[in-house]
Amino acid sequence: MSDIEYYRPHDLDEAVTFLARNGATTRILAGGTDLMIDRRAGTLNTDCLCDVSRLVELKRIEIIDDRLEIGAGVTMNEIVHSETIARFAPALKIAASQFAGNQIRNVATLGGNVAHCSPCGDTVPPLLIHDATAMVRSRSDERAVSLADMAGGPYHCTLGPSELITRFVLKPMTAEMTLTDFQKIGRRRALAISRLSMAVMARQEKDRSIAFIRFALGACTPTPHHFEAVESTLLGKIPTETLLWDVGGKLARQMRVITGRRPSAVYKEPAIAGLFVRILYPLVASSGKPVAP
Amino acid sequence: MRIHFNLNGKAIAVDAPVGTSALSLLRDYLGLKGTKEGCGIGECGACAIEVDGKAVNACLMFAAQLDGRTVLTVEGLETPSGLHPIQEAFRDHHAVQCGYCTPGLLMSTHALLAEKPHPDHDDINTAISGHLCRCTGYKNIVSAIEAAGKNPGGKN
Ligand code: FES
Ligand code: FES
Repeated sequence: MSDIEYYRPHDLDEAVTFLARNGATTRILAGGTDLMIDRRAGTLNTDCLCDVSRLVELKRIEIIDDRLEIGAGVTMNEIVHSETIARFAPALKIAASQFAGNQIRNVATLGGNVAHCSPCGDTVPPLLIHDATAMVRSRSDERAVSLADMAGGPYHCTLGPSELITRFVLKPMTAEMTLTDFQKIGRRRALAISRLSMAVMARQEKDRSIAFIRFALGACTPTPHHFEAVESTLLGKIPTETLLWDVGGKLARQMRVITGRRPSAVYKEPAIAGLFVRILYPLVASSGKPVAP
Repeated sequence: MRIHFNLNGKAIAVDAPVGTSALSLLRDYLGLKGTKEGCGIGECGACAIEVDGKAVNACLMFAAQLDGRTVLTVEGLETPSGLHPIQEAFRDHHAVQCGYCTPGLLMSTHALLAEKPHPDHDDINTAISGHLCRCTGYKNIVSAIEAAGKNPGGKN
């Protein structure tokens, strides 16, 4: 470990110029919380750390035209304290506020959480419900990458070595949305792998029929997923508790197919259906709690 | 590499390999043993320090990340006239048993009170969410933090 280099660019251009030359032997350092875990486990395997945590270009949170843009270097606590995010992406705020402990929220970044491609990247489901794309810079190019394309598998990020995520572009929540939420099971980092998280955004008509819904799930799939089948089943329907248990059960079975029958699936199926009904229950009734079938 | 930063009010420079953790830099290179290592993986908060006014886990930081920053550790709390008011509040409310979690909790409390001099219960719970204490059951810790907020000058 004595021969790792440390490089801290002054601006974004310097960062991508450096990565163009040294990207293959460099790891990008933002908050450092995941890289320190790797270092401790002996899996850091790198010649150089490129510290992007002080680049102001990665720190913006703003509405531009009809898009919400969030810099990759924004920390979890900066998300928690942003009025713009509270208004236009409240599920992301909830996810950030429940992310590990306060000291980690002070340093862990949105870009780091996404780029790590961890199956328990809690910020990914709330980004998916806003159809988020990542803007990725290299010295000569900028491209948009959908979050679904970014994760090639658990802990495997498909970005090139000279590329850096600069920001995320989200469709902001509009005033007509009647439900948006993020919920998870499992609290501490130690339980990360068995953790399950869901995010939803929906709009109901006056007759309670569902006119719009986005639903995403993280944690027990190899990579986070946005479940179109769930959305298309619920769209146009007036939801009842029975319908939610039914769709939740289907979702749990679908997950079993995606994950293969791992032993953990045995207890996860009821957990998946239960969390699904709980997060969507406000579509059925504005108060009270669902009862198990 | 040579790391320059402000530690407890003094500008310092120290040489350490880039892969060193900020925790090891403080304890092993600088001999400041007040900051503790519990889990080493970000779960217990025993290693919390303040960097530019924010509580962070020193075990999850590379020493190099401290370069150019202002760092406060538990050693920097005490003043020539005695314990810091937060330390007094912890003592007076029996918020310390074995004391292993205490330095980290003091730093999170210090960062909280700088930002919110009169925190409510939720603020306190949020600020200490990343700390584990095996001894006290947290109740006395919360009372101590509340008292420190009510009585910032110390001495009851
Ligand atoms: S030792 Fe750093 S959080 Fe436990
Ligand atoms: S006093 Fe012993 S761990 Fe908190």
